[in-house]
Amino acid sequence: MVKLRARCLLAGDAAVGKSSLSHIFYSDGSLFQKNYSMTTGVELLVKSVSIPETNDTVELYILDTPGKDTLVDGCEKMWGEPSLLCLVFDLTNEQSFVNCGGWMERVRAHCQGLHVPGVLVGNKSDLSARREVQASVAREWAQSQGLEYHETSAKEMENCDAPLLSLALAFHSLYQEHRENIQNLSPG
Amino acid sequence: MIESSFNSSDKKVVLVSSSDENHPPENIIDGNTQTFWMSTGMFPQEFIIRFAEATGIAAVTVDSYNVKHLKIEKNNSPNVSHFESVTEKDFERTEGHLQSNVISLNVNSATHLRFIVTSGDKGCGPGCCGQSLWMKVLRDLQT
Repeated sequence: MVKLRARCLLAGDAAVGKSSLSHIFYSDGSLFQKNYSMTTGVELLVKSVSIPETNDTVELYILDTPGKDTLVDGCEKMWGEPSLLCLVFDLTNEQSFVNCGGWMERVRAHCQGLHVPGVLVGNKSDLSARREVQASVAREWAQSQGLEYHETSAKEMENCDAPLLSLALAFHSLYQEHRENIQNLSPG
Repeated sequence: MIESSFNSSDKKVVLVSSSDENHPPENIIDGNTQTFWMSTGMFPQEFIIRFAEATGIAAVTVDSYNVKHLKIEKNNSPNVSHFESVTEKDFERTEGHLQSNVISLNVNSATHLRFIVTSGDKGCGPGCCGQSLWMKVLRDLQT
């Protein structure tokens, strides 16, 4: 049994649903805030995820950060070195998808040139009539960035666990891989 | 100066910030380079070693991997508190083999040594931002 800990950065434009998603995940689907309250500081949510078919758990330290331009600069220093990335956009707002490129650049600057396992999440899938971003386009871009693609509806509580579970699995397999590397080390 | 091997009968690990049950912290001081302790994510990580009695320590050899910066503190109390800084060191990054560093301590008397890894290396395997490291204290040099 091992308990792993990962710093998971939640990023993306303002009002795409980052806080809603993280609260749904954190509260196991019991809490959807109907009123919008802009995140102005960094909120930390800690949630343990069990890895199926093992006794291992990954404790996700989810950093819910503001997406609003004027607040990002001030909060960016609290990102630290993320071990995982959850990048969120609004399926009904094409600009929030376009801006994901800029978010990736910002995040990369914090990762010292290393690849950080990540997911791209298209949120608000319940608003199908207002959809502006097609799944195929988003999936293709996600692949080009090495991200796994998910669509969610925080409001309908659909699929909200999937992105964070897949991040926990990615972190767990990274740990296994890393442990094997260490076992094969030669003496200094 | 006598070189003594670091066996676990006269010292033990009394605190560790994280561990995998397959790679427990006792491995740090078992004198075997094949076994190791591995941290399980995020920094800082630390462990504290208690000596059976107050001990003078001239230097310590640390074999590690993915350690970027290490701080060493000591105290002379029966309790695990009130540590004072001894030294800190930046480690050179290695690829595929251990980092081996002899760190001069010149401690006249200590009951506990605290090792704090404040950051890990870039070269920590594909895709990770320093979430794990391995460290082993092989031996101390007693004055």
